[in-house]
Amino acid sequence: MEGFVDVMFQPLEDFWRGFISFVPNLLVMIFIFILGFLFAWVIGILLKRVLAVVKFDIWCDRVGLTALIRKGDVWAKPSEVFVRILYWFLVILFIMIGLTALQLPTIDNLISQFFVYIPRAFSALLILIAGYLFAGFLSRAVLIAAVNSGYHYAKILAEAVRLLLVVLILAMALEQLQIAPGIVVAAFSLLFGGIVLALAIAFGVGGIDAAKRIIEKGGEEKKEETGEKGRDIEHL
Amino acid sequence: MLEMTEHVDKADILIGIASFNNARTIGHVVKAVDAGLMKYFPDRKAVIVNSDGGSTDGTPDIVRTATHDHAAIFLSHPVYPAHRISIPYNGIPGKGSAFRAIFQKAVEMGAEACCVVDADLRSITPEWIELLLSPIMKEGFDFVAPFYSRHKYDGTITNSIVYPMTQALYGKRIRQPIGGEFGFSGKLAAFYLTQNVWESHVARFGIDIWMTTEAIANDFKVCQTFLGAKIHDPRDPGADLSDMLVQVVVTLFNLTEKHYEKWKGIKGSMDVPAFGFRYHVGLEPVRVNIERMLGIFRTGIRDLGPIWLKILGSGDFGEIEAIGKLSGKAFRFPPKLWTGILYDYAIAYHKRLISSEHLIKSLLPLYLGKTASFIMEVEDMDNEGAEAEIERLCMEFGEKKEYLVNNWREGGA
Repeated sequence: MEGFVDVMFQPLEDFWRGFISFVPNLLVMIFIFILGFLFAWVIGILLKRVLAVVKFDIWCDRVGLTALIRKGDVWAKPSEVFVRILYWFLVILFIMIGLTALQLPTIDNLISQFFVYIPRAFSALLILIAGYLFAGFLSRAVLIAAVNSGYHYAKILAEAVRLLLVVLILAMALEQLQIAPGIVVAAFSLLFGGIVLALAIAFGVGGIDAAKRIIEKGGEEKKEETGEKGRDIEHL
Repeated sequence: MLEMTEHVDKADILIGIASFNNARTIGHVVKAVDAGLMKYFPDRKAVIVNSDGGSTDGTPDIVRTATHDHAAIFLSHPVYPAHRISIPYNGIPGKGSAFRAIFQKAVEMGAEACCVVDADLRSITPEWIELLLSPIMKEGFDFVAPFYSRHKYDGTITNSIVYPMTQALYGKRIRQPIGGEFGFSGKLAAFYLTQNVWESHVARFGIDIWMTTEAIANDFKVCQTFLGAKIHDPRDPGADLSDMLVQVVVTLFNLTEKHYEKWKGIKGSMDVPAFGFRYHVGLEPVRVNIERMLGIFRTGIRDLGPIWLKILGSGDFGEIEAIGKLSGKAFRFPPKLWTGILYDYAIAYHKRLISSEHLIKSLLPLYLGKTASFIMEVEDMDNEGAEAEIERLCMEFGEKKEYLVNNWREGGA
């Protein structure tokens, strides 16, 4: 009879023992969560002040980052967006750390994968930001240089450069995130090659007359220069 | 033949010639300098320093060997024949780096007076040496700027940007602040050498405006001297105008930032002491392509609109759009608008609105529009008439200076 009672209560006892040993882990997890929220909140306030001191919003306006986030329908100040991103990053980070306190093998496995992925996500974000700035810079340089050379299709040329760079940057970011890398590389090669081919064909077929005009105009200018008396204007 | 002197220790006078592949003309320049030294400073120890940027056409050899028959020019023999040194310079290739090597030599040799002349000059005479050095040696000046007779179409960066802005900011009327030939005291050479600017555009074409502005802003005694016509070899057609503009204007704006405390309170302008006898000279014709200039200006309006709008605001940009619609001979770029544009560019540069290189390069179409307008305005005028137009522009810069002062904020926006 005693044995029967023991068998009956054994699972309950096991559950209770398990529960007793789990509670401290749960409390630790909750504590880490609360700590995480507090830490993120404090860091957020500090960062907000630092960004205000270094005039981060003005810098974002200048380099075009404000315009970029507006395109994404985000209307908060860039510094606020940055602080919010960091706040939630820290909160998620602490949630992940807290979950490890539960010592559940499945969750541990997921969390270790998450931590392995963080550097990739971070570098992909950096590639996107730096790439966007670089594409804008280079496209503007091409635009100004083309206008100063008297090239009629300066804007189209600058936009083409920007488009090519954006495609390249997106492909690099996706490759970094390891999202179907094979497909990304293939799609990028096709798209990039396609754009270059399209430009070549467009100029070769559609631009025959334009090319002819440019060459003829160049020839005429040369003739004028050699025919006209005098030297060139001195700018300095 | 004059002796070579890699071992000269001391000199009273130093003449610097910056060169790069100037074999065709440097012989004439050295002869003129040599004759000038013999004629006007026969009892002074002088050295000619050729600072060369790695010429491959034998330029340094010509400097060493160029000679003429002194007996045909002079009755007496000089006490100290001028020594000649040819040195390669280090650093960024450019006129400024070449000048730096010349300043170093001047300081090393304890030169009392120095001058620099271009290696591609065709119109240099022995008198230039006297005109550039005497104000220093006899009158106690520290900096001598050149004053030339130039074709009314020439020197458009000088006429529309550098001269009006320098005059308005620092209150000194120096007609050719970026002339290329300068005289300076040993004291000023030592001052130049202590400045940490040799990795910037000062190492290139920015050197001229830098030398002039630093001399004015640091209260060195400044004057100008009339040299006659300046004729030199045609420049390298590959030399990019927008690069030249960037080098000069970035240096000008950097100096404007540096000397804000100096210029903010200056009102009006005055002549600086002038030397030399002014006379009229015949000038060779200059070829201009107004259509191309206006073409680039109008392409700028169409394609650079967002950039200009950001720098100038809607008021001035609207005016630019309006004048862009004027055709042919009716096209005019009002001095007031040009003044506002240049001041807005200076402010935008100070506030780091966009990259400095892009900012100044985006000024080129506006500059070409202004140049085309000026050429059409003065087409039927003589040189005096054209000069009066330039002075009118300078007055505009002076009157609008308050706008620049009021919109200037220390350390950016």
